[in-house]
Amino acid sequence: MKYFLGIDVGALSTNAVILDVRREIVGYSIVQTGANSTEAAEETLEKALVMANIDRAKITSTVATGYGRISVPFAEKKVTEISCHALGAYYLYPDTGTVIDIGGQDSKVIRVGDGGKVLDFTMNDKCAAGTGRFLEVMAAKLRVSLDELGDLSLQASQEVQISSVCTVFAESEVVSLVAQNHPTEEIIRGLHRSIVNRIWSMVKMLGIRGAVTMSGGVAKNRGVVSLLEERLEQPIHVHTEPQIVGALGAALLALRLAQTAT
Amino acid sequence: MYLIKNLQYHFMKDLGLPALMRFSQRTKKRRPKKLDTCFGPPLTSTGRLKEIMTRHYLLSRYAEGARPVAWVTSGAPVELLRAFEFYTFYPENHGALCGAQKVGSELCEVAEGKGYSQDLCSYARIDLGVCFSGRTPVGKLPKPDLLFASNNICQTVVYWYKVLAYHWKVPLILFDTPYNFKDIADSDISYMVGQLEEMIPVLEEVSGKEFNYQRFQDVIRLAKEASLTWGEVLATMKARPAPMTIFDAFGHLAPIVSLRGLPVALNYYRVLLNELNDRVKKGIGAITDERKRLMWDNIAIWYKVRDLSNRFAERGMNFVAATYTNAWAETISYLDINHPFESLAKAYSLVILNNNLNHRFELMERLVKEYGVDGLVIHSARSCKPYSVGQYDIKRLLMDRLGVPSVVIEADIADSRVFSEEQTRTRLEAFFEAMEA
Amino acid sequence: MAKREEYIDKEKKEKGKKLFGIFPAQYPREILWAMNVLPVEIWDPPLEVIHANAHLQPYICSVVRLGLELILQGKCEGLDGFLFPHTCDSIQNLSSIVSDYLGVKKPCYFFYHPKSPYQDSSRVYYLEQLKGLVARLEKQLGPLDSSQLKHRVQQGQEVARVLKQLYDLRVQGELEASNADFYRVVRRGEYLSPDDFLPLLEEFLAAAKGSAQGGPAVIMSGVLPNPKEILTLLDELGVRIAHDDLLNCSRRLLVPPSRADDPFEALTESYFAMPPCTTKDSSVSERVDDLLAKVEQSNAKGVIFYMVKFCEPELFDVPQLTGELRKRGVATLLIDCELNQNLSGQLATRVEAFFEMIS
Repeated sequence: MKYFLGIDVGALSTNAVILDVRREIVGYSIVQTGANSTEAAEETLEKALVMANIDRAKITSTVATGYGRISVPFAEKKVTEISCHALGAYYLYPDTGTVIDIGGQDSKVIRVGDGGKVLDFTMNDKCAAGTGRFLEVMAAKLRVSLDELGDLSLQASQEVQISSVCTVFAESEVVSLVAQNHPTEEIIRGLHRSIVNRIWSMVKMLGIRGAVTMSGGVAKNRGVVSLLEERLEQPIHVHTEPQIVGALGAALLALRLAQTAT
Repeated sequence: MYLIKNLQYHFMKDLGLPALMRFSQRTKKRRPKKLDTCFGPPLTSTGRLKEIMTRHYLLSRYAEGARPVAWVTSGAPVELLRAFEFYTFYPENHGALCGAQKVGSELCEVAEGKGYSQDLCSYARIDLGVCFSGRTPVGKLPKPDLLFASNNICQTVVYWYKVLAYHWKVPLILFDTPYNFKDIADSDISYMVGQLEEMIPVLEEVSGKEFNYQRFQDVIRLAKEASLTWGEVLATMKARPAPMTIFDAFGHLAPIVSLRGLPVALNYYRVLLNELNDRVKKGIGAITDERKRLMWDNIAIWYKVRDLSNRFAERGMNFVAATYTNAWAETISYLDINHPFESLAKAYSLVILNNNLNHRFELMERLVKEYGVDGLVIHSARSCKPYSVGQYDIKRLLMDRLGVPSVVIEADIADSRVFSEEQTRTRLEAFFEAMEA
Repeated sequence: MAKREEYIDKEKKEKGKKLFGIFPAQYPREILWAMNVLPVEIWDPPLEVIHANAHLQPYICSVVRLGLELILQGKCEGLDGFLFPHTCDSIQNLSSIVSDYLGVKKPCYFFYHPKSPYQDSSRVYYLEQLKGLVARLEKQLGPLDSSQLKHRVQQGQEVARVLKQLYDLRVQGELEASNADFYRVVRRGEYLSPDDFLPLLEEFLAAAKGSAQGGPAVIMSGVLPNPKEILTLLDELGVRIAHDDLLNCSRRLLVPPSRADDPFEALTESYFAMPPCTTKDSSVSERVDDLLAKVEQSNAKGVIFYMVKFCEPELFDVPQLTGELRKRGVATLLIDCELNQNLSGQLATRVEAFFEMIS
């Protein structure tokens, strides 16, 4: 039996997906990227192999994607995460027309065509507003963990308006909101709204087509997803492991690579 | 059809809207105003101003089809258009209004969603946001038959109006005013006169009216008188205490910007001037305890006018001069009914923003002396590069040459999202400490 | 070929040329050549910004910032004057900062060119502006020799003719040179005398003729090809920039020929026949038509809008241009960055994804 590996080395997490020839996911893993992305790639691969219960030698081909894609020495091919997210989302939800990926360092909106092909895409500018990093900075300011943000924001009955677009400005705004004794949940909801507004303007630039699939770590945050659904006026597909969508796309490309080679 | 629309327009202008507005004012519940102890009694002319501007915007609904409609930049020689009886709409004035009503940022977001960068002028983004969404606090904007821009205030308006021309598919007339690097030469004047003459056939075609030289002279006269009166209005602030603040003047500026050349503007400024002269005679100040007199540089921070006004008034600081409000009193007085074209060229090419920075410094120096200015607040406006580039040097020179302290606020005219409350507070507090030391 | 600084220095010391620092973008270089001046253009000096931030707000573009930094770091001491064309609001005000506030003890000249839509008055005025500039320069440099001007105008047209040949070959995929090489050579014209630039171009033309590699073709639009890393990245991916709509390249270098006998008439005629440009307020539709024609000629799959951050004249047109291109199935990519900064991983990813999309 042959297997195909996709590895996505992101700014925050490094993820792997292993597919078999029937295009079934037989193993995956998510680990922290940390300081050394080559080591993270090794680690995530080992874990995925354990889950798939196969030997490393069984991997026929590997495609790497994500920021650290150049740090994966054993990959035959390197492809950007934009193409991979499109493919991965299309595989999971074939009605996908738009992918919204909010990652650690950047966020992107991708228009997806037949077969998971990228038709168009846009990414945030240099600034961190509208990314996972933005939430991380704010969570630290508010002394709550990143995982708690979603549930806390859903508990808010009202929300505070965060008017600044810039992370640095927003940070000082949050400081003064805390000083004014605004409830943490309401501030968090305001922060989520601010991210959603940023994403919304990127979505509008491309226009929505078909179903929307969300990938990346922030997709786990129910608060952001529900605000975004409200804004888009349509439900959003979110996989139970939204972080592996990029690696899944890479694995699909690895499979395609092996097929065209033979 | 045209006749009916025209009749309707005139009816609404002269009778309908004034009646409606009186009615709506009577039915509005009067809120008891909390009298702030820092301020003197409010100007009664302000009510009249609101009436004039509301009527102007409401009238736009009846203008389509009844009058040729032009969208005009604040520095364009609108006098020529008035001779053809255009209804004129000022997107910059409207942008300021959106900023003041705190809807600027959301309209900017509409434009950003269409791909316009956040780094572009917020007046432009607001206007494009209105074009794309149809949303505006004034109800509805009149569709333009013509766009009229001059690059005497910035090149940005031309980039912006090119987008409008593409969007609305209507002609754009540009009045190209050579920058005054050292001086304005005869060839510059004849270039500008040539352009004005070339505009006439286009304006005749769009308006369906023949050029009437006498009407044009009338407009020039009205514009000049209004500008001179506006100058007198501003000059009342030389008095101690000053009878109004620049923050008031930011509002009273609207008619000279967007109704210049019409009798209503001149009449309004006469009324306002009377009231101010009366206050000077009686020694009534805009703020009760005027201890320091300040000057403002650049366009207002529209969404913070009230807030800033309170913050300064609390400390007995009053703004008595501004390069911005002064711009409409400075050069329009060059207008000459006997040489309308040449004088238009001069009046519009020598405005502050089309002039070198030496000129700007000399102007500020004069205002500092004439108005007894103790300090300056410099608004560094992201949107407005011609107004802002050079301010850091001006700040340094004001201190070196005149010993006048100043503070720079990094902000924007209408997009509140780039305003940092914390940063501004710290800078202002440091400035207050320096002024009071 | 000598380095930029060495070359400029030699021109001054050995050939007795006067050196002028020229800010972007459009100016009558032939007049300067004819008056024994070597125009040295200031677009993107490779400097760390230390002093300019004391004069310019953070929202001013890096072309203006680096140009001012060059002066403030004392690197313009050897120059005999500055020329500021009227390109945009920021350069307009920069000219006045330098001339009025910095106390720079060098003659500063300003060149105003009329803006579109052009009228008869624009033509009359441009001609007068040329003559006015000459009159001002003569006070510093002595009288202009009219036969020299005629010669230099012809030489300017010769330079434009060879450049046009190079661009034509590139459009047809018949130039072997990499993106990086092509623009390195084209950009030498920013400081070389035409006496040296012309032979360089001829030599390059002869050497670089040959089939380009087979990857997809794109068009680059914007101000200038900097950061240069994008050129190398595109080369690595096998993407060929088949044509450009760059302010400091085709928009001002592909000067259309003129047959006028009078050199001033010839310069005027050429100016009004130049490709559409934001710095001359060309209409959106002219720019759309120009880009579409370039796409068609070169069979380009996409257009990369390579923006200098904060450049208003360029950024206002982008939504209309991308809209029209997309309507016709041409892919677009918008990138804005500061000059001389390495391409971030994020930007590189965007370019690579764009490549994956068009191939």
